[in-house]
Amino acid sequence: MIYLDNAATTKPCERALSRAGEFLTENYFNPSAMYREGFALQGELKKARSSLLSYVADPTAFEWIFTSCGTEADNQIIFGAARRGNAVTTAGEHSAVHASFLELRNRGVEPRFAPLNRDGSVNVEELLRLVDEKTTLVSVIHVNNETGAVNDINAIAKAVKAINPRVLFHSDGVQAYGKVPIRLAKEVDAYSVSAHKIGGLKGVGGLIKRKTLQLPVFIYGGGQEGGKRSGTENLFGIKVFEYAAEEKFATLKADYARLREYREQLWGLLDKELFVLISGQNGTPYILSVSAKGLRGEILLHMANDQGLLIGTGSACSSNAKNRYSRVILACGHDEKTADGVLRLSFSPATTEEEVVKAASALNSIARELTKRMA
Amino acid sequence: MRKVIIIRYGELFLKGKNRNYFETIFANNIKTALEGIEYTLVKRGGRIYLRDFDDMDAEEMVERLKKVFGLHSMSVAFETANDMSSIFEAAKLVCKEEGTFKVEAHRGDKRYPKTSVEVAKELGGMLLSVYRKLKVDVHTPSFTVGVDIREDGTALIFGESTEGAGGMPVGTAGKGLLLISGGIDSPVAGHMIAKRGMRVECLHFHSYPYTNMQAKEKVVDLATVLSGYSGVTQLYTVSVTHIQEEIHAKCRPDFMITLLRRFMYRIAERHALRIGAQCLITGESLGQVASQTIEGMTSSNSVVEKLPVLRPLVGFDKNEIIDRAVKMGTYDISILPYEDCCTVFLPDFPAIRPKLKDILAEEKKLDVEGLIEEAFTTLEKITF
Repeated sequence: MIYLDNAATTKPCERALSRAGEFLTENYFNPSAMYREGFALQGELKKARSSLLSYVADPTAFEWIFTSCGTEADNQIIFGAARRGNAVTTAGEHSAVHASFLELRNRGVEPRFAPLNRDGSVNVEELLRLVDEKTTLVSVIHVNNETGAVNDINAIAKAVKAINPRVLFHSDGVQAYGKVPIRLAKEVDAYSVSAHKIGGLKGVGGLIKRKTLQLPVFIYGGGQEGGKRSGTENLFGIKVFEYAAEEKFATLKADYARLREYREQLWGLLDKELFVLISGQNGTPYILSVSAKGLRGEILLHMANDQGLLIGTGSACSSNAKNRYSRVILACGHDEKTADGVLRLSFSPATTEEEVVKAASALNSIARELTKRMA
Repeated sequence: MRKVIIIRYGELFLKGKNRNYFETIFANNIKTALEGIEYTLVKRGGRIYLRDFDDMDAEEMVERLKKVFGLHSMSVAFETANDMSSIFEAAKLVCKEEGTFKVEAHRGDKRYPKTSVEVAKELGGMLLSVYRKLKVDVHTPSFTVGVDIREDGTALIFGESTEGAGGMPVGTAGKGLLLISGGIDSPVAGHMIAKRGMRVECLHFHSYPYTNMQAKEKVVDLATVLSGYSGVTQLYTVSVTHIQEEIHAKCRPDFMITLLRRFMYRIAERHALRIGAQCLITGESLGQVASQTIEGMTSSNSVVEKLPVLRPLVGFDKNEIIDRAVKMGTYDISILPYEDCCTVFLPDFPAIRPKLKDILAEEKKLDVEGLIEEAFTTLEKITF
């Protein structure tokens, strides 16, 4: 099996799993308990929090809230920060942000969506035009999960604050954390991340926020996570996240360079009679988005599946046209036919050159086969 | 005082000599519906009594029994000693505090010192004395309190009865094969035929990889709901992918649906005969879509050689079908937006009134037998 859907989730890091095993079998106590065994786990949480934070932000200026996933982190900040007036985001957000912004409308906040460039990055000039004195929140995805386009969030945050310094600037960093180099500028107020995109487990995420930023309580209860997000901590998942991140960040630059070559290589090997490029040249090396001309992505996905190649797609065999095409791909300016044929190939540091070569040849052959059958 | 469920079955009485046969099947269907719950079942005097269950299970038992065909109505009753004061205590629990009512007593034990009329009168008076807003109305009461004095020294007291699903017990009218899609109609058709006592098994056609796994899963979910009514059900699936590809490659595009349906009916009949089903059942309704015109039906019907095709929805409007789908619990699944049959190959303008002569000419271009045999190699079976 060749797994090229790492943007959906990654295989959990085995070393991290075994290192964290003690928190399942021996140190299973509730970190809120008052006896030594429980209290010791407070220290473990603190260690995890601090190291996960320090990879991307200054720990003296930022803090870390554990959440159940990236989506929760996005929800926490969006519904915690948006006030009456307007909130600005991009047309290229993950549903976690997009759907939350649509809901803002029901809560008296006008959502505004900035258009995209062809590669899926936000058109910064247009975005800035949407920001005014009534804007309370701006949210810009760091790495687009469909095309892999990278937004320069530090620069965008600075420009936004120059227009309205009171705006809260957030970025969804789920496809970026542990994969692309970033050091959060002081103008970025909040940043969402997820464990399972970098070898951690599903069910753990984090919201990085500026310490001075006051957020309302998101989940009431026993007062964990500074009282903002109650619920007994998933210590095992958190420690797996900590250890997996340790490995990812240690090799981040080397992985980045190697995967950039693989991505180039894969695109180079795909038959240009059959495929067009959706990703831009400057996107993350972790995602290559292409479209099979005149074919439906999901059918190719099924055919690839039958050959042991697991990939993602931008379309679905839905009888509902509204759900069929990816709104993000359409927002990049592609037509419905192109959107219908989108395939997303996404890598992890474990991806090998051999897999890339095999995947290219499998994709060429199934696309050729389907073209023939549809003729 | 403990709870007993009284089950009444209406139509079975009509069946004279066969009554025992019907009752046995009916009781077995009740057992299947109540699997996992402990109780004892007693058949007596044209009714079935369920007793010795945990009182907390009563509500769920009634809910499950609502899906058993052949069941006319049921009541949750209290079983007490047969003296008037015990009967009164139980009657207070089932009687409403206001409205019009009557007491209906039945005396199985003829040695009992009071007649049915006396019991009814006396109990009515006792209830009126505690619930002052009650009024007696023997002709059109808003509810009835029932008392059944039995030969074993006990009495059953019950209030409102719950309507059952009606119809005939599944398994008393043979077996049929339902052609099930992911749509609204076919599960309703299966439900209607099962209601007349037929055991229904399902056959679904898919076009993987052109359709997805969710579409198939949706049919599994629909068949699961249907199996709640029709007893144990098998779902068979067959791929028509290659048949669609061959029609696409060789025949007139506007004949795609007509030709495909003829393949489906041929496969269905052969499969029905293999599994011992005695008819095909479809969700067709006259004129609903192009392939369901009388010409379309004639075209697909003409390939079915030995079995009748039952189309219980043929005269229904869409709204009537939807109402039934909502009631039986399949509507919300049916409207999920997954394609059950590939639209990639569907023509923009299908032939609405295809002529048999043209159909046969198009079909000659295909290896019909070979394609059917090949389709059978993709047969899968899911048992509920």
